[in-house]
Amino acid sequence: MHSHETQISGLMNAQVVRLLSGVSVHGDQHLAEVEQDLVQMNMLLDEAIKKLYASFMAIHHAVELQQEALNDLQGGSMPVPEYAARFDALRGEINLHVGAAVTGLQFQDMTSQLIGRMAQHLAGLRGVFDALDSHDSTLPVSGDKALLEMLNHMSERVDARVSGLSGGVRSTVNQRHMESGDVELF
Amino acid sequence: MSKTILAVDDSGSLRQILSFSLKAAGYGVIEAVDGQDGLDKAKRQQVDMVLTDQNMPGMDGLSLIRALRKMKNYQSVPILMLTTESGDEMKAQGRAAGANGWLVKPFDPARLTEVVRKLIG
Repeated sequence: MHSHETQISGLMNAQVVRLLSGVSVHGDQHLAEVEQDLVQMNMLLDEAIKKLYASFMAIHHAVELQQEALNDLQGGSMPVPEYAARFDALRGEINLHVGAAVTGLQFQDMTSQLIGRMAQHLAGLRGVFDALDSHDSTLPVSGDKALLEMLNHMSERVDARVSGLSGGVRSTVNQRHMESGDVELF
Repeated sequence: MSKTILAVDDSGSLRQILSFSLKAAGYGVIEAVDGQDGLDKAKRQQVDMVLTDQNMPGMDGLSLIRALRKMKNYQSVPILMLTTESGDEMKAQGRAAGANGWLVKPFDPARLTEVVRKLIG
């Protein structure tokens, strides 16, 4: 009788270790991916804000110059063709800065994809915690075979979640900078 | 009459930016929120070019290209992928599906306009 209890207790200990190890591995994988996405998102947001700020200031400056040119034009201090060239140059400059702002504005598309991936990992983590739920209000008596079975089922559920993760949630965003991407015509 | 481009992307902000850039260059733009919406709109109105994202809910960009290339009136219409994906394997799949080019986001509007002009004038 004593040896049977010892055997159950040994199996139970092994199941607890297996369960904790599964939770640890699975949780760690999800959190590592979320952490990596957060770092990448932080870099993209940081660059996008800097880019947008620089574009905004440059557009503001160019518009001020345009206003000055208009004032000069009204004063008639320069021949008309020279004004036309000056306005053309300013228009070109504004277009350039608007283009840079348009590139910077695309941060939302990239960060929302990263957020989507993080949400999938957090759902995976929630799945692990769900797998730990015994769905029973009372626990079987310690040393009982029923407790061993319960632990076994929990471990199987956690293992199933881990194998479900194999390959992970593929990242569709590899960009780490807000520089415009490559163009390739086939 | 200006040429019409179908812009397919599930990101509302990206569609707005794309639309702004293409309209500023003189093109007409029809927006679609995913591959299926893009396919429906392409069937309803013949467009001169298609610009599509890859990762979208429901029908993705590659599936949209395959579906369009099966249609007689879209066999020679230029189709460009505009996506965050930059892997060679994905590009090869795009090429095999019938894409004419691959643009990696974020895009530079001047560069995009240059490519569009090269393909449809």
